[in-house]
Amino acid sequence: MASHYDVIVIGTGLTESITAAALSKAGFTVAHIDENLYYGGDEASLDLDDLDQWAKKRSAASDKPLSSPYLQAQAEKFVSISAVASPPPHSRQYSVSLLPSLIPSTGPFIASLIASGVSRYGGYKLLERVAIYHSAGLVKNVPGSKEDVFKSKDLSLVEKRRLMRFLLFAAGDFAGSKELQGHEDAPFIDFLRTTFSLSMDVATAITYALAFCSAASDPTLPALTRIHHYLRSSGRYGNSPFLVGHYGGAGEIVQGFCRVSAVVGGVCILARNILSIKQSPPPEGHPQPTYVVELEGFDEPLTSRLIISAPDYTPFLSNGTSQDNTHSSPPPFSSRRVARGVIVIDHPIYFPFLAPPSSDSDPIVGASVSTESMITPVDTAVLVFPPSFLPDGSSTTAAHAFITGAGSMSAPVGIVNISLPLDGAGSSPPDAKAILTPYVNATMALTKRPSSGDVVSDPIFTLFYIQNQLLPSNSENEVTPPLPDLETCFTTPPISPTLSECADSAAMNAEKLFWKAVNALKGHPTHTPGQGEEIPEGQDLVEIESFWPPLETIVDDEGDESW
Amino acid sequence: MADSASGATDKSVQVKLVLLGEAAVGKSSIVLRFVSNEFQANKEPTIGAAFLTQKCRLEDRVLRYEIWDTAGQERFHSLAPMYYRNAQAAVVVYDVTKAASLEKAKSWVKELQRQANPNIVIALAGNKVDLVQPSASTSGTTSSESEDEADDATATPEETAGGEQAESLRQVPRDEAEAYAKEAGLLFFETSAKTGEGIVEIFTEIAKKIPIEHILASTRGAGRPGAGGRPGAPDGGVTLDENAAKGKDACNC
Repeated sequence: MASHYDVIVIGTGLTESITAAALSKAGFTVAHIDENLYYGGDEASLDLDDLDQWAKKRSAASDKPLSSPYLQAQAEKFVSISAVASPPPHSRQYSVSLLPSLIPSTGPFIASLIASGVSRYGGYKLLERVAIYHSAGLVKNVPGSKEDVFKSKDLSLVEKRRLMRFLLFAAGDFAGSKELQGHEDAPFIDFLRTTFSLSMDVATAITYALAFCSAASDPTLPALTRIHHYLRSSGRYGNSPFLVGHYGGAGEIVQGFCRVSAVVGGVCILARNILSIKQSPPPEGHPQPTYVVELEGFDEPLTSRLIISAPDYTPFLSNGTSQDNTHSSPPPFSSRRVARGVIVIDHPIYFPFLAPPSSDSDPIVGASVSTESMITPVDTAVLVFPPSFLPDGSSTTAAHAFITGAGSMSAPVGIVNISLPLDGAGSSPPDAKAILTPYVNATMALTKRPSSGDVVSDPIFTLFYIQNQLLPSNSENEVTPPLPDLETCFTTPPISPTLSECADSAAMNAEKLFWKAVNALKGHPTHTPGQGEEIPEGQDLVEIESFWPPLETIVDDEGDESW
Repeated sequence: MADSASGATDKSVQVKLVLLGEAAVGKSSIVLRFVSNEFQANKEPTIGAAFLTQKCRLEDRVLRYEIWDTAGQERFHSLAPMYYRNAQAAVVVYDVTKAASLEKAKSWVKELQRQANPNIVIALAGNKVDLVQPSASTSGTTSSESEDEADDATATPEETAGGEQAESLRQVPRDEAEAYAKEAGLLFFETSAKTGEGIVEIFTEIAKKIPIEHILASTRGAGRPGAGGRPGAPDGGVTLDENAAKGKDACNC
């Protein structure tokens, strides 16, 4: 095995794995390292035994001063972990995603999936439904398209007209429009109410279930941009704008990107602790230093010209460089705490919709239940809990419960991932389980089929924790902050915490990292995609023109003889 | 994935087959022989191939093998669960001239029994048998599999094998490996990717053992063999690439 590489990528999260695949495909030599036994880092999909181990390691790491800097960073990131009950048998039938994600049918992530060939490896299905929690055992439908609005019986004629006007506005070219001007940073829900005169009910549905906002204070422009994107995404594969990846989504897809890297010669190394990462002076005739990475169980260190690292591995970098880098300044990102819950269910979930009373303009009053939607359980769906919708829930932030059933291949019956961003930054970690229990109960109430003799079932496995999540910077320039003095070392920037946005933001991060790496490796400062400028002679690499090179066609036997 | 329909109209059944075995035992060469019926000592490695496909006719049925190579990920514990996922067949390869490679093969069989579909059909293949057959040795030059690993990183080191020493090169007696295969419930073959000996047989014998009706039942309506692992799973899978052409400005957000 060669021990010198163009790039060593540390961490196998979504961003790192897409970057590694793209760099390998572009012809660079890549070593891809992760201390975990699995691919995916914080975006992994784990079976229940591995998830149990994941939780135990992170809750215990703070007691063990000898654990690796990576594990210590993880233990600071994931707190208040409480796994309830030991995992049920047949652990491998479950794929629990640490970062549930919806994949918009158009956008950078799906473009990378297809252009890299990774889409061939896995399976996908359309998101079936998005609904809003209404009351115990009942949900409200969310009109996600113009067709839904037409068909909706929940809305008055006036309301329909206003909603249509908004959807047309959001689908159109709103930049610079008089409606938006001056309101870009205003709370989105206020913008909907004042500018489009939408009722609180409809504005709430748009804010939390269409734009996937997490709080009433979320600003207008990003929310509007998301809706614009999703309205234009629907119809590509079906009537939902979103796809759900089989076997836990992102964590499975990551494995595809890592395989793509390996297929073109990338070296993947899992389950080895990193002992040190040092910078050695530039070799003769080279302007750039070399990085030396020592791995547990490896006689020879790995060396590279460039390092791309997940943030949790950077303690190695700031402490271990041969230069005097005593700085430990935190990365220029704000962070947010998110309460997360994983609930494994053995009874399916039903979405009994409120049926609109035939002659009543207020659907809430006539709380009768529709009959058609309760017959088939939901397989892939998002259940939204806007702020204050749950008596014991949060009054300021919205929770999203992402349901993945047997059709998503993630479980024999289903898994529910609940996420609830927390307000403020208190000093002591809040109790994840206590915070999320009302949401779990409300979700589990939907396992009871209305007007049947069923009883509400209990989860067969639960895990709760608080994740201290870095938020992406608004400034484009801060996307990949290299540590000071380490111009050939990049840490991967945070990805969006929004359910519908995280995959796309990972792909965008990866593309930026890719071009940074290409530039750094060539010593050529301003090569950007699409410009096609000249690369200086004498470089050992061919010109790289795109993030993904044209895809090879599968060697196929179509029409050939068969055995 | 041009042909992704494996439903009732199409008689061909997709079967995912994974290769396992120590580096340099000839995994990729076996596939190349089977898929292209060729063995070229200096052929470029099949870099960039996500997987290879090859039809295999069996009575009235056509199996369509989707053959996955390890891409070097068998080193450093880095084969992902995705690799084993829904594999209906596996070929575990060892090198008859290397005793240690059979031990490694046995551990791969264990790994398959732990990770893979419980109904997986496993074949054990003792490759490079041409090296231990004096008559088959053509020019006494180099070993058969050297340059043909699809994954360049696992390319076999040069290894000289004069024909006259052929039988002495054998380190794994056929009886021993066959007995192990029988005990573990594996199909067993000795093969040579160089001469083609035993190669087609691996795939046709696997085809006979594959529970085709079961696969047909479980993949009906689903686009990919990847969706076939869990019988009775609801339909509704989508194939991303199909609509790639009409997906407009997919990257502008």
